[in-house]
Amino acid sequence: MINLIIDNKNITVPRGTDIFLAAKNNGIYIPGLCYHPKLSQYGGCRLCMVEVTERGRTRHKFSCAQPVSEGMQVKTKTPEIIKYTKSVMEYLLAHHPLDCPTCDKSGECGLQDITHDLKLSKGRFKTVRMNKPMRRDNPLLEFNANRCILCGRCVKLCKDVEGVGAIDFQNRGINTIIGTAFDKPLDCSFCGGCLSVCPTGSWQDRTFKFRARHWELKKTTSICPYCAVGCTIETNTKDNTVLKITSNDARGMNEGNLCIKGRFGHDFVHSDKRIKTPLIKKNGVLSPVSWDDAIGYVAKRFREIKNVYGGKAIGGIGSEKCTNEDNYVFQKFCRMVLETNNIDNLSNMKSPLLNTLIHKSIVHGFTSTTSLKKIEKADTLFFVGADVTEAHPVIGTLARKAIRLNKADLIIANLRNVRFDSIAKNDIRLIHKLGTQAPLINALIKTIIDEKLVDLKRVEKATDGLRELKSLLKTFTIKKASQITGVSEETIRKASALVAKPGNCYIVCGKDIEEDPSGPDTIKALMNLCALINTASSLKTDAGKISLVFSRLNNNSQGANDMGVVPDFFPGYLDIDDQSNRKRFEKSWDTKLSDTIRKGTAFNLIDLALKKKLKAMFVMGENPIVNFPNGKTVKEAFRQLEFIVVQDTFLTETAQLADVVFPTATFAEKEGTYTNMAMEVQRLNIAIPPVCNARQDWQILCDIAKKMGVTLFYESSKEILDEIENTVPIFSGIYYERLIRQSFNWVTAHKLKSRKYKFEILNPKSVTVKKKRDYPFLLLTGPSLHHLGSFSRNSNSLVSVASECFVEVNRKDAQQMNIHDGDEVLIESIQDSMKLKAKVTKKLPENMIFIPEDYEWVHVNVLRDNVYTKVKLSKA
Amino acid sequence: MTPCGSGGQDALIQERKFKMIKPLLQGLALTLKYFIRPSQVVTMQYPEERWTPYPRFRGLHELQRDQNGKEKCVACGLCSTVCPSECIHIVSAENAQGERYSEVYEIDMLRCIFCGYCQEVCPEDAIFLKQEYELASSEGTGFIYGKERLLAPLKKHK
Ligand code: SF4
Ligand code: SF4
Ligand code: SF4
Ligand code: SF4
Ligand code: SF4
Ligand code: FES
Repeated sequence: MINLIIDNKNITVPRGTDIFLAAKNNGIYIPGLCYHPKLSQYGGCRLCMVEVTERGRTRHKFSCAQPVSEGMQVKTKTPEIIKYTKSVMEYLLAHHPLDCPTCDKSGECGLQDITHDLKLSKGRFKTVRMNKPMRRDNPLLEFNANRCILCGRCVKLCKDVEGVGAIDFQNRGINTIIGTAFDKPLDCSFCGGCLSVCPTGSWQDRTFKFRARHWELKKTTSICPYCAVGCTIETNTKDNTVLKITSNDARGMNEGNLCIKGRFGHDFVHSDKRIKTPLIKKNGVLSPVSWDDAIGYVAKRFREIKNVYGGKAIGGIGSEKCTNEDNYVFQKFCRMVLETNNIDNLSNMKSPLLNTLIHKSIVHGFTSTTSLKKIEKADTLFFVGADVTEAHPVIGTLARKAIRLNKADLIIANLRNVRFDSIAKNDIRLIHKLGTQAPLINALIKTIIDEKLVDLKRVEKATDGLRELKSLLKTFTIKKASQITGVSEETIRKASALVAKPGNCYIVCGKDIEEDPSGPDTIKALMNLCALINTASSLKTDAGKISLVFSRLNNNSQGANDMGVVPDFFPGYLDIDDQSNRKRFEKSWDTKLSDTIRKGTAFNLIDLALKKKLKAMFVMGENPIVNFPNGKTVKEAFRQLEFIVVQDTFLTETAQLADVVFPTATFAEKEGTYTNMAMEVQRLNIAIPPVCNARQDWQILCDIAKKMGVTLFYESSKEILDEIENTVPIFSGIYYERLIRQSFNWVTAHKLKSRKYKFEILNPKSVTVKKKRDYPFLLLTGPSLHHLGSFSRNSNSLVSVASECFVEVNRKDAQQMNIHDGDEVLIESIQDSMKLKAKVTKKLPENMIFIPEDYEWVHVNVLRDNVYTKVKLSKA
Repeated sequence: MTPCGSGGQDALIQERKFKMIKPLLQGLALTLKYFIRPSQVVTMQYPEERWTPYPRFRGLHELQRDQNGKEKCVACGLCSTVCPSECIHIVSAENAQGERYSEVYEIDMLRCIFCGYCQEVCPEDAIFLKQEYELASSEGTGFIYGKERLLAPLKKHK
């Protein structure tokens, strides 16, 4: 700690802080436009001059570039400095168009604020205006070079934080401007970061354009409704309309960084495609009815079905997009009122063992604790089967921060050569053959054991089964591993060394692992890897550990599982067959649970429906027809049902099949909590009243329950969370009010008991995929940066940037088949066929094609069967 | 408040009624005097006669146009922010040329106190309080002046 005096105030700050930040954090204002705590220093605006007296010498220094030192005396407001700052401002303003009345930045503009503070009016210099035309070459951002003061913040953010480097300084002297290479239209990831750091109004959000003044906007802190990173956002509203999403650098683990979906994908809230009233199918057509009628009808039908076939003939699909409270009430409603345990959520249906595996890794302390923010402290980053850039962009920015500030090393293991832009010195790509991810991890383990990269004696003491593991891997030489996986021996060695090196290592385990048939094996292998390294290190704390982060797809995929919308567990992963757990919930819900509430068969809901074991289905905020693999079968399964109820915001493909549809509120109209992929429970807040008659999901459930003669009575989300706090052990200690300030992490909050780790002994087998002569290609699907679910599909901004789904084809294959970028190709599988535009790429291995699965209107899943789908490709 | 029902009060009211009669007659006499001799009238005979306001009088607002006939107002929102009676309602939007303009500009004349702050704050000289003072209306909505009534009429331009 360093003591210094700024403007006669004694201040203590950590070593290495610069004067600018020291002053700012202690409430002393120094003007400055180029400095940003998120970015590296640049010293370009020259406004932050202060007078520094050190060791008896007084000099003028730029405070943003000058670290504090012991006993330093700083004056920020001497007449000389004010005179200097004023003249710098005069220079800046001589160049500035001063079009505040028409500039959306007005009211929160750094330049305006300083002009005002210094009481500048008439300048002494001749004004020179650039009169450059506004650049409007893309649908989301526009750039006005006239307003730019060349502080360089946007350039640095784009390069360092976002890793894109789409913009840079051009020209020299008075002609310097910010622009894209060769003045091409801006084609970047549209994270909007440039917009958020620009101190002036040079960058403008075109989707907001002029609709309100800064001071008229109400800001409500909330959580992004798209992916499982759970970025904190600020919903800006005026007259009960969501106008834009901004971010606050001081709030949330995302430090003000968002991706395109979070920042621009909010316009679905006011989409005219929203369902406006409850709908009931009459003569095959969904027609509007009143809330009372719809609820009465659903209650009546459910009662009939329950009486005739028993409760277990009703299935329930909970939502990865709804809040924890919605999901909790959903499973309570199903179990208590409908008396069925046939409930599930899509993520659990896609990878049924994942919950158990995650729980196991939590018990043994392998998951990252507290927050995703820890990733920025990593020394090694290991992405396994995760396309971070597309699926979880803000994890990418956290990772880049680790790479930039911690010099972290990067390892990416994937089937495809996925894109991840960074400046990592060691950027190792383990591009393996199909289905060999488990052997690859075992190869790393083998290398670590063979080369004694960790203290094996310690490991042996702290765990069970190391010997078996060793003997199992005896014949699995690195050479063999290299042959199987297709990764060179040297690369395997290098990667092992980086994983085992001291320091924090974060493994992000992606969807390609979790949803793969060999997924459980790979995850077990990863846990072995974690155990090997963690038990070898003497450190008990988080520092110097290797941690697993399991990526989830949607904003609340984790929460839907936590809340027990799965057939095997009550909320909080309490075994449903355990009598004491049953008692616990019977007591809390003041009811006697039906005997049918126990673990069912190994079949998922779709299978049950196909087997005609289900008569009715209750779907809350999901679109399984499109989002579940093997789309044809799912549709078939839904056709078997007599009665389908869907709660959703939009009339999705599933809702169109329904007998009753209820309109539900979106994130902006809701309160409650979401749980992100690091088990952080974060709170969202109501920004606007419900749009067009919509209700929150849990309210609808309570209304139906009431009509069925059971009172589930809650006034607000808070009461539901209180009940969860009371009943579910892992959530004890979660309080709604506290969540305003701080997220709650149930892993950290409860030291779950850890037994001695026993190594999983698995044969490192690779999955072999039989080739079919008629269908020579293999279809891979994956996430997309621009789309996720039915929200993005109804956001005009997102659709305007990514309007068309595409199929990626390997360059060699494309050459052979004479396919060029943009050509339309026909993809056929046994199930179905579709036409898409081709995108020729080097990312893919040969004989494989890739289609992003989140362009919801393109039903990729109808092509897929349950395992690797073989397809053929031809030019259309 | 007048307490009612007590006998003493009633007597008082009776007495007052009686005292009113004389001034009433006096007033009627005066009216009669001017009726017979209209040349002595001192009030303005509105609406036959109209008053010319002083140059600095602040009446109905007028939104200005520039020499090309384009609206000057850019919907900067300063007037609605400064207005002490919060009677200006603006909806800003982007026009076909990508410029800022006011899609809706409404002033509620029932609330306006004609202080002229809006005129003073406007950075574009887009709003002026003019001499028009006849703002009566027989219905409430008639006092909400939209752009169709506030905008200066288009002059003929070549
Ligand atoms: S939106 Fe993001 S990626 Fe695009 S230019 Fe701005 S900072 Fe760079
Ligand atoms: S556009 Fe904004 S952030 Fe970028 S250099 Fe100019 S003023 Fe700075
Ligand atoms: S990274 Fe995920 S949570 Fe963050 S803004 Fe993007 S979609 Fe939203
Ligand atoms: S004259 Fe005063 S009260 Fe009337 S609209 Fe203008 S600012 Fe408001
Ligand atoms: S202050 Fe002037 S330019 Fe701004 S909104 Fe009011 S009238 Fe229009
Ligand atoms: S803030 Fe120090 S030079 Fe810009």
